Amino acid sequence: MQDLREIESILEAVLFASGDSVPVEKLSEIISQDKKTTISILSNMEMKYKNSSRGIMLRRIGTGYQLCTKPEYEKYIVQLGQARKKQGLSQAAYETLAVIAYHQPVTRAYVEHIRGVNSDNVILNLLEKNLICELGRKDSPGKPKLYGTTDEFLRVFGFNSVNELPRIDINDIQTVMDEIPVD
Amino acid sequence: MTNTPNDRCVIKIKDFEGPFDLLFYLIEKNKIDIYDIPIVEITDQYMDYLFAMKEMDLEIASEFLVMAATLLHIKSRMLLPERKDETVDEEDPREELVLKLIEYKKVRDFTEILRNREAEWKKVHYKLPEPLPESAYEIELEVSPSLLKECYQKTLQAYFDRQNDESQKMKRIIQHERVSLRVKIKQLLDMLKRGVRLCFSAIFNLKKTSKLEVATGFLAALEIAKSGKATIHQEVEFGEIYIKPGRAVRDEGA
Repeated sequence: MQDLREIESILEAVLFASGDSVPVEKLSEIISQDKKTTISILSNMEMKYKNSSRGIMLRRIGTGYQLCTKPEYEKYIVQLGQARKKQGLSQAAYETLAVIAYHQPVTRAYVEHIRGVNSDNVILNLLEKNLICELGRKDSPGKPKLYGTTDEFLRVFGFNSVNELPRIDINDIQTVMDEIPVD
Repeated sequence: MTNTPNDRCVIKIKDFEGPFDLLFYLIEKNKIDIYDIPIVEITDQYMDYLFAMKEMDLEIASEFLVMAATLLHIKSRMLLPERKDETVDEEDPREELVLKLIEYKKVRDFTEILRNREAEWKKVHYKLPEPLPESAYEIELEVSPSLLKECYQKTLQAYFDRQNDESQKMKRIIQHERVSLRVKIKQLLDMLKRGVRLCFSAIFNLKKTSKLEVATGFLAALEIAKSGKATIHQEVEFGEIYIKPGRAVRDEGA
């Protein structure tokens, strides 16, 4: 077995060269280790990047890993003047995204039921931005499409995986009640 | 209900995403307990808002009207005297609306979380993917001295053939070729029906037949393969092409 430092260097080189998020399978193939070992090496690296004085960090996005700069250095990066301007989302888009993220896989009808408004265009817009994707069709009359979030969504909102999404128990009424300002 | 927007309800027009958004705005503004919505008051304010919109010639989305109808329906149900029948547990007419509002409230909260997270993670930058070569694999060449020799001999032979066979050349110029795909398909099928494996180069050879014929023959083979009457097989690139009768032909022949 190659020594661990060497493996970490290989992973770093590969991730740097890729730029994009690289699936764990691919990485484990490259370093010829099994998936479990690869993941543990990667999460170890993740910690190392985080704790040492580095300008970049490693983050997990869905089933892949990607190198990115640490948020605290953003103010220096912008001085490069090359940072791409990122377009914001409308309130409708946020709402729709929230419903889909919460309840995925979910149909358009359900999104509209929760939001109380037609969500046709917003969904198209989110699909275009690659924040949501189709996850097949629901086995009910009309076979409506089911939507869920993408890796791009995880990337933009800084989640490691879908399981990380905050959940509020539907029946946990007390919590909701506490959140509502009552005078 | 026909009162115009009054002092109690001075509305700064803002874009409401939908009826729930508006209702929530009203609930928060009035600091109302969501579980005990004063339906009369809320309905009045809601309607005021709609009238204000109308007065400003804003288009009112149908969803807002549906909610208005729902609110008025709830209001009227609340006004009805309660049934004396104690056995039937009369449900609160507001219940459905409240549940929906709670569900919406959760989404709203999550929307805030998303907004904050996005702002935080916007500060992170990624490197653009490197334009790496299409495939990391080199196509391995299978070469050997004997293969080279063989190829050289073939080329040489072809050269001599061309040199010596002037008459053939002349013939080709004079000859007006008529090669049709249909005829070729038939020809190939006839051969296949005998149930043998055919070597493409044996049937269509540039030495014996014209380019047009070879090309048409190849098209014919593809056509036949498409219709499932034959399978085409080639072991290596530029190697021999074998045509085997497919099931359709074998059945026909039997």
